[in-house]
Amino acid sequence: MRQIRSVSGMALHLSGVNWKVSNHEPTVGVIERSFVTSHQNKNIKIMTNEKTLTITKNALQKIEDEAIISAFQSGDKDAYRLLVERYQEKIRNLLFSIFHDRDFIDDLAQEVFIKAYQALPTFRFESSFYTWLYKIAVNKSRDELRKKKLRRFFSFQNLDEGINNEINIRLSVSPENRDTQEIVSLGLQTLPEKFKTAVILKDIEGLPYEEIAKIMNCELGTVKSRISRGRAMLRKALKPLLDEAKV
Amino acid sequence: MKRINENKLDEILSLYLDNSLSEFEKNNIELLIKTDVNVAKRLAQLSNLRDLLMAKRKIEPNIGFWTQLSQRIEDTRREESNYLPFSRKYISAIAILTSMIIVVLGTLVIQNRELVFSYISEKSQVVKEAYKNNFLQDSLLPLFSKVDKDKALQFSLFGTLPLDDKSETTLKIDEKSEKGYRVEVGKAKKKNLKPVTFENFIAEVKPTNMQKKIIDSLLDLTGRRIESSVLIGENNTMAIAPDLPSLNKIMLTNIASCLEPNQRVRFEKLLETHDAPYAVINKNVLKKNTLQNISNRPVDNQYVIITPDTLIYSRIQLNIDSLRKQIEENISKIELRREAMLKRMISKEFRNVGREPYFPEHFSPSEEDRFISVEIITPSLGVENRQIFEIIRPRVRKQIANQDRQNQIVRTQILKDTNSSVDGK
Repeated sequence: MRQIRSVSGMALHLSGVNWKVSNHEPTVGVIERSFVTSHQNKNIKIMTNEKTLTITKNALQKIEDEAIISAFQSGDKDAYRLLVERYQEKIRNLLFSIFHDRDFIDDLAQEVFIKAYQALPTFRFESSFYTWLYKIAVNKSRDELRKKKLRRFFSFQNLDEGINNEINIRLSVSPENRDTQEIVSLGLQTLPEKFKTAVILKDIEGLPYEEIAKIMNCELGTVKSRISRGRAMLRKALKPLLDEAKV
Repeated sequence: MKRINENKLDEILSLYLDNSLSEFEKNNIELLIKTDVNVAKRLAQLSNLRDLLMAKRKIEPNIGFWTQLSQRIEDTRREESNYLPFSRKYISAIAILTSMIIVVLGTLVIQNRELVFSYISEKSQVVKEAYKNNFLQDSLLPLFSKVDKDKALQFSLFGTLPLDDKSETTLKIDEKSEKGYRVEVGKAKKKNLKPVTFENFIAEVKPTNMQKKIIDSLLDLTGRRIESSVLIGENNTMAIAPDLPSLNKIMLTNIASCLEPNQRVRFEKLLETHDAPYAVINKNVLKKNTLQNISNRPVDNQYVIITPDTLIYSRIQLNIDSLRKQIEENISKIELRREAMLKRMISKEFRNVGREPYFPEHFSPSEEDRFISVEIITPSLGVENRQIFEIIRPRVRKQIANQDRQNQIVRTQILKDTNSSVDGK
């Protein structure tokens, strides 16, 4: 029922943005290039032509994730591109906040989307797609952080010490020449993984506590505690920077 | 107001910032902020921190992200289709189904375990019996059931193997043939000399303990190889591995390679005394250049198969280890079969053996002292053979050498006579 409602909703919406709607056959919009999505068992067809391409981009933003997933689950594997384009930057930024490593995040983000692609056929609409995708990304980054930690352990590196030194060096620069964003990013790297992820999801991604609890697979109280403790740790690490601001 | 610890204060301030406190808690904390400068400062710091985090700049977009990703998805899909015979979405269903089948089968087996065990033991007994019977009735068995060190040494040095206890009949490698080698089964030539045993060899050549161990293991390997090289069947059939003739030379080369120059001199004396077909050259050579590999089965498992009617060249798959086990269990039966085979050979049953049109080797009819003689045409000397002849060479017997010298004198005389008559003209 959910699928039918979503796709019907999409049909109505798209008919309002200059889409040709056949009287005999309900026709809904999209998609770019020669991409055609059929949903014949629901008596719905998605069509495209050169003229509609220009409005497709706008129309696309308004299609619900669920409708795209339904199309994907019905066999239209190319529909996945819409989801990727919608969330790729969010996932890349999330991973960048966690790892602060530009060279590494594209590979990891692709792994997240590959994992999602493989699991999408069994997606059961019990949570929103982005929560589900964030969950995959967080789990993936947790695995990766563990691997990094292990590598550091065997190479006898003390990463935290190095980061703290770098923060202090950067803080010693006069405020007008200082890269505050970089210092904040470095400060995040000093936090343990569970506090860091919670703070990133709350303060950078702006997600509500409930969503964070789902993504991190823990209780609401735990999330609140992790966020407050993470913020407190970060406040201590960046105290000189924060003190400069007016109270 | 009751004093609260720092962690609790941080948590409350954090929740206050997120507007997640109840009205009562919110009023309390606001009162605290107003009255306590430190709390106010802490809140300001947290608020600044949150603002900084919220303003955190985004990284530049990756335009080629989808292109790279779609390629990787395609690769993954291809990889999966290579090892999954069904669609990925059926994995869980198939896993559940398989587990259910295993559980059902397991339950059935446990419930009827006595029946299953008796069935298995009964079947295995039947298979064992069938194998045993089949093995003894139809298949080929080694002519030499247990080739010990002495026999292996005898073969290595002289190219002969006794076929009966009294050593009246032997298998012999004869190299008089112009085209190659001849494997012969025939009457043994009577010699006054005693056969060379491993003990004699040790006493004469005096190898070190290490050399002794190496030669010992080489002889063991040769013994096994001989066992798998000459086979006899139930129906007057005999199979000989065509590469058997090179085995004695390979072994002689290997033994000589293991020895030091002074030991080689002693070894050559021993060979000369017993009129061995090959002599050892006292020459310094690298062991790695002369040591030859001895495989435990004939090349490509090919055999020359001789029956009273025909001669064929065929592949025989033989598991010598399982064969050895069977030999130990059926030694008396094998002895009987070998005796019967020898009787047939002696009674010249193989005299008029025909030859298959594609048979590559020449088979010569029996003579008085030869019951079976198979001539094996060998290709030109390969690298291995050249290496063999670096350290051993065919023995030039005195009688033949004298004859050659006589012929040379005659030839020189004829040449002289011819030249003088031409000059006279």
